[in-house]
Amino acid sequence: MRLPASRDGLAPADSGGKSITRVIDRYFLAAVSWPSLLIMLLVTAVPFAVTIGLAFTNYNLVATAWKFVGVRNFSTLIHDPQTPTIIFNTVYLVVGTTVLDTLFGLGLAILLDTKVRGIGFIRSLYLLPIMTAPIVVALTWRAMFNNQAGWIDYFLSLAHLPQPVWLGTPSLAMPAVIISDMWTGIPFQALLLLVGLLNVPQELKQAAATDGANRLQVFWHITLPSMRPVLIVAVILRLIESYRKFEGIQILTTGGPGIASTTLNLQIYNTGLQYEQVGYAASMGVVLILMIAISVGLVYLIAGRGSGLGGRS
Amino acid sequence: MKHARSLEILRFALLAVGLVLIGVPFLWILLTAFKRPVDAAASPPKFISPVTLMNFTTLHDNGFFQSLTNSAIITIATTVATLVFGVPAGYAFARGRFAGRRFLGAFLLFSRMVPPVIFIIPLFLYYYHLHLVGTYTGMTLAYMTGLLPFTVWMTAAYFQDVPVELEEAARVDGCSRVRAFWRVALPLASPGVVSVGLLVAIAAWSEYFIPLILGNESTTPATVGIVNLIGVDTINWGAMAAGALTLVVPVFIATLLAQRNLIRGLTAGAVKG
Repeated sequence: MRLPASRDGLAPADSGGKSITRVIDRYFLAAVSWPSLLIMLLVTAVPFAVTIGLAFTNYNLVATAWKFVGVRNFSTLIHDPQTPTIIFNTVYLVVGTTVLDTLFGLGLAILLDTKVRGIGFIRSLYLLPIMTAPIVVALTWRAMFNNQAGWIDYFLSLAHLPQPVWLGTPSLAMPAVIISDMWTGIPFQALLLLVGLLNVPQELKQAAATDGANRLQVFWHITLPSMRPVLIVAVILRLIESYRKFEGIQILTTGGPGIASTTLNLQIYNTGLQYEQVGYAASMGVVLILMIAISVGLVYLIAGRGSGLGGRS
Repeated sequence: MKHARSLEILRFALLAVGLVLIGVPFLWILLTAFKRPVDAAASPPKFISPVTLMNFTTLHDNGFFQSLTNSAIITIATTVATLVFGVPAGYAFARGRFAGRRFLGAFLLFSRMVPPVIFIIPLFLYYYHLHLVGTYTGMTLAYMTGLLPFTVWMTAAYFQDVPVELEEAARVDGCSRVRAFWRVALPLASPGVVSVGLLVAIAAWSEYFIPLILGNESTTPATVGIVNLIGVDTINWGAMAAGALTLVVPVFIATLLAQRNLIRGLTAGAVKG
């Protein structure tokens, strides 16, 4: 994700205007951006720093007295028997959703990459799940997965397939979360990747085709490499989205059965706001931030390896 | 040639399958919202049942329409506040060097990466001391944690598409920087700004996590209201679907009206730049 290029846009007015105008002109850009920056500092940066600080305290919401406890929260976290499961669930969810959403999303993007009349309307229909409130998605899928009145098990019964208790079976709870995620995640990835597909230089594709490359070869050697930057962004956005997934777990499975589908994000909420152990929750928050930073770094490392910008090999 | 045509048929067959999969949960909401509660919970599911407005009466009796009003208030307040602060900052970010630009850029990336659960506990603690818990002001500010950076980032992408020469011409004609922004850059970027505004409004309308923690009984929006109303042990699926319908319909209409801009808006900031 590159930031918009720095560009020293407008030269200062050279006409000797009124000095007050000149002063306003001079500080205009800074003046209009500082209020935003200030709000972001107050509601984002300061709370972030406070959370890091709280991670080293025994602060909780019930008792008012608190003190610094060093790294005790972290050592408690390491020895907590729930920790391995929760870390595993988090990785399971993030890898599962990112890989499936991106692969199917790429497929859908290829399907949507056509100039036939009416395709614009079809694209906008695929936009609808993305725009639906996550809480509605979670509640609706909870109904769909219900083993009494739910539609999924009903359709499975019509096909004479087993009808599992999706949300009550430890091994199926996380797959259910991932399936419901794919309902929005696939269209989201598809629309992002479609922009990448539409930006692939047509001349390159044609040149390869005249050289005798078949469709698959063109896709593999021309299209995919030139989509690399978009793919990286799409994967990173999806990763981040999965790490912070909340409604789709808290409402769909309540993190259960037991803690079979509890991720780190949900556990922080439960620990900090349900059980009111703020310090301990904050230490989990630090771990979550580290996991996100490492994953984003890994994507860059793997995908950015040995490549220039496009596929012009 | 024949080969190409059958590929096109395959393409539309697959797209149709995809649309059915997208449509099924929406169909569930629509059908269930007008079912009697006993039919909504029938096992095996009843697809056809007498149409009733009972579920909407249940919503009304449980104060759900008040929470819809709260949703509207918070959505409007958040959208206006976010645009007022975010659009000029996006312009500044696209246009030039100023003190804090680099910091702003790093900050935009950072705030995109950190999950809301990290901010929410300290925010709750501040709000508790400042008596902001359960207020519209408090929630609007908290909504801006994610939406303000998003707005700055996205509008910056749109302002970069406005040729700087136009503003330079206006400046040579003696236009002040404020006027150049207001009269030249903003009108040209307005389609982008409108679609960013729409995305912000939809995101605010859909927010659940922040009001779950920072809302109270009288200010809580419909996303939290719907969960409070469905019951814990036995879920009232009919009322839930009716509530979901009221949350989905406005967004549906907005999405289909602004489809093209929304697709661009969703992807612009992420793909280019």
